[in-house]
Amino acid sequence: MMERPLSRQALIVLPIMGATLILAAWQFLVPLAGIPAYIVPTPTTIAGVFANQWPLLISNLWPTLFESIAGFLIGNSVAVLLAIIFAYSRVMQAAYFPVILFFNTIPILALAPIIILIFGLGMLPKIIIAAVICFFPTLVNMIRGLNSATRNEQELLRILSATPWEIFWQLRFPRSLPMLFSSLRIASTTCVIGAIVGEWIGSDKGLGALIIQATFNYRAGQLYAAIVLSSSMAILLFAIVAYIEKKVIDYT
Amino acid sequence: MSIAIECKNLDIGFRNAESDVTIIAGLDLAIETGEFLTILGPSGCGKSTLLRVIADLLGPLKGTISVLGSDPHLARQSRQIGFVFQDATLLPWRNVRDNIELPTRVGGNARKPLPENRTDALISMLGLDGLGERFPHQLSGGQRQRVAIARALIEEPQLLLMDEPFGALDEITRDRLNNELLAIWRRTGTTILFVTHSIMEAVYLGQRVMVMATNPGRVLEIVDLGEIKTADNACSREDPRIISAMAEMRVALEAAS
Repeated sequence: MMERPLSRQALIVLPIMGATLILAAWQFLVPLAGIPAYIVPTPTTIAGVFANQWPLLISNLWPTLFESIAGFLIGNSVAVLLAIIFAYSRVMQAAYFPVILFFNTIPILALAPIIILIFGLGMLPKIIIAAVICFFPTLVNMIRGLNSATRNEQELLRILSATPWEIFWQLRFPRSLPMLFSSLRIASTTCVIGAIVGEWIGSDKGLGALIIQATFNYRAGQLYAAIVLSSSMAILLFAIVAYIEKKVIDYT
Repeated sequence: MSIAIECKNLDIGFRNAESDVTIIAGLDLAIETGEFLTILGPSGCGKSTLLRVIADLLGPLKGTISVLGSDPHLARQSRQIGFVFQDATLLPWRNVRDNIELPTRVGGNARKPLPENRTDALISMLGLDGLGERFPHQLSGGQRQRVAIARALIEEPQLLLMDEPFGALDEITRDRLNNELLAIWRRTGTTILFVTHSIMEAVYLGQRVMVMATNPGRVLEIVDLGEIKTADNACSREDPRIISAMAEMRVALEAAS
């Protein structure tokens, strides 16, 4: 038997209830189990950090947000441009795709110090790391999207004597958009990870730097607050991308 | 009557790196301007391939072909060919109106401007009133195919090529669209080549039926139905002469398979 779909109210209330129950369990079970607050703070302690250290948190949020968004824009733009080149030139794709694949297999934690060595300690290397982490999924998805027009669609445009420019704008590019947006959704959260990893390795500001400092100073409340803030930021970026996607792909 | 399409000793198929794969060899065919010809045959007999050669989507392997008095390439570039695929091939991000107008938006500047109300007239002619702003996924299969026909007709082509356009539709919708297509043909005088593997559809629509067989792809016979249809190509599906023409074709197709 098919289950009845949940009502709109239930879809709002249930996740709130679920999260509240988990937070309540966390609040009461952690002290009960004798775990010290400098290892796992309770939710109210973390909330206290937000109330008392808001200026510190927010001043560390801005650099990370800036690096994430800049990395997102640069990484995805380069990926889209390269995908267009590859989709139109098999020679270029055959020559350079394996190199890019190899580059992508290097763990970001190994690549980050190299980028920081080259570009120094400013914001630029963090932006580059965030861009690198966004780049590959978008490249792969965009190539596939640009090549996803059906044979009939291509023949239709050919019968109409469409120019290559028209085939790109009327067929291949709009065809690629759903796949592009699925990778942009992923990139909207991974770009934050990239920026934070970059800040871990060499920075004195940003949420990544705050996470490292809080960890080594046993300021668990501050650590958890920084984590909550970076997650919220990633969720916000994800929501913005999802909103734009809904506006652009309005035909389904 | 002038000739719309003429093939002489035509070989069609595919070019491979090693060798050519011939699907139909030595085809001789002449189709008059304004004729409604149906092409009937089993899968693999080359009927869709023939349509693709006429539409300049595929080059012939050998022999000569002329389309509307010139090379297929020139005929295509002069925008005199409309093509309807088996799946409607509507672009999902364009609404009905924009899909119908697609041919007027591409193909460089060599197009004549679209007469005002042309799209509305087509929407009306194909029974799509009130659906102009809908997107393809909001339409039924029959409605999508009507949009595809309207798109093929927007530039008033002299030649309409239809590759099993109603093959995926239910029988009731298919019968209705057959009647509407005949009405459009009578009104526009467009030369129509219509590929199908339904014997009923082939006989009901065509003034002549080209019956094809497979292995190797060849023309079995070209049946002229002029004597059992009215001057404007009308007939009753229940007419005993239509039923016996269908039976003869079935026998011929079975004998050849």
